Amino acid sequence: MIEFDHVSFAYGANHVLQDLSLSIGFGERVAVLGGSGDGKTTILKVILGLIKPDAGRVLIDGEDITTRDEEGLREIRMKFSMVFQEGALFDSLTVKENVAFCLREYTHLSEEDIDRKVRDILSMVGVEAAMHLMPEELSGGMHRRVALARSLAAFDPKMFLYDEPTTGLDPINADNICRLILDLAHNGKGYIVVTHKVVDALKLAERFLFLKSGVIFFDGGREELMTTADPDIRRFISELNYGTDTHGEDFPS
Amino acid sequence: MRGRVHTIGLRELIFNLQDFYLLSYRASLGIIRRPFYIKDTIEQMDYAGAGSFFIVVLISLFVGMALSLQISAELSTLGLKMYTGKIVGISIIRELGPVVVAVVYAGRVGSGIASELGSMVLGHQVDTLRVFGVDPTRKLVTPRIVSALLMLPVLTIIGDAVSLLGGYYIAVNVAHQSGTFYWSSIREVLDFENVFSGILKPFVFGYLIANICCFMGLSTQGGAVGMRRSTTRAVVYSMIVIVITDFVLTRALLYILGFSV
Repeated sequence: MIEFDHVSFAYGANHVLQDLSLSIGFGERVAVLGGSGDGKTTILKVILGLIKPDAGRVLIDGEDITTRDEEGLREIRMKFSMVFQEGALFDSLTVKENVAFCLREYTHLSEEDIDRKVRDILSMVGVEAAMHLMPEELSGGMHRRVALARSLAAFDPKMFLYDEPTTGLDPINADNICRLILDLAHNGKGYIVVTHKVVDALKLAERFLFLKSGVIFFDGGREELMTTADPDIRRFISELNYGTDTHGEDFPS
Repeated sequence: MRGRVHTIGLRELIFNLQDFYLLSYRASLGIIRRPFYIKDTIEQMDYAGAGSFFIVVLISLFVGMALSLQISAELSTLGLKMYTGKIVGISIIRELGPVVVAVVYAGRVGSGIASELGSMVLGHQVDTLRVFGVDPTRKLVTPRIVSALLMLPVLTIIGDAVSLLGGYYIAVNVAHQSGTFYWSSIREVLDFENVFSGILKPFVFGYLIANICCFMGLSTQGGAVGMRRSTTRAVVYSMIVIVITDFVLTRALLYILGFSV
């Protein structure tokens, strides 16, 4: 369970999170929506302890992580698998080396075993052929797939965190990434997806959080989201009326 | 208002210095404590050492030739041209060699370090390392410090040798001195005091350049403009620190080694 207890955070004079309180279970599928600069990504960074809130507590499985140092946070971070915006692949490493990064860092597997495992994971996300390419040689969609593969190879996480996984991708690639995210969650593992694309949020999530200026002003399910009278959310949802693939027939409604 | 700006600036400076010392401390501990990132260190040594070889040779050659030209021109008016080798040797080994190579290192390797780490910060690669439980200081900063500690002295020795060769070429072919006498003058100045002074400086410069440039790179904020700012600062601060440290070290070494001024 992830709990935010009156969390506030500011970048200088810019108050990104303001007295935020919420709870998210590890098995939940949550989408965090909102405009640019409204604090969506900051929520993920606070969960991972990458930034410390200015006020309030963040509890992961009941433990306050705001008082922990980098060493103490390592154990917390292993409960999550994070995919940053644009993938954040290591530029100087090949796709294989990126995916094998944690295996080399934390296991004593032989090169043959690492090679086999990397191939398995890459074929799972459909980019096995790109194994020996450098990140700069990948398309946007492949980039995200490799980033997903790398996060799978890392640990056995309780929950996945995705920061704008489909931003900058064409609708087909975005759709494929959404399917992949759903596939990876088949065993009941939850995820938090930060996005500003309502179309993708509706494909992926069961619970929706709307952030505005660091405050949650909507927290509810699909029906509540679609029927809300809030003008800001209505404006967001209006994206659905512009002929994109709306809910997607193959996705859970 | 101006007072407030100064207060904020001073507070920021103190926080930055504190962060800088913490980073240096943690990275320096990484030299003696596990985990050791040998592969990363070798890669950095290749980039910093082998990659800088040509530019160090080129610049050192022309610095040595220009210095020899200036000194022999001045000494010939006094009828003391035979001291050209000795003065060129002392200048290069004690002073110019370490400083010139350090400045080249800051410009080529230091700017590369700052921009590479800066782009890793902006591209969330540093955050990714932290999420994976890898300490970015140990993984990114320590190898660059070790590389600078090992490579800058080596490059300085190479640069000194090439500068002396350049000086020899000018002394013999332009100033028409005896080559044998030039080299015997150089041999005279290759004593413990001069060599020690010439080797100690690059160690200190290398440590400082690597720390400053890594710190600047890891503090990058604000996109392309932020990266330009941190790269420029890394090189400028490194150069300022090089010349100030050079003066302090020169003063201290002259005192310790018993030279009277």
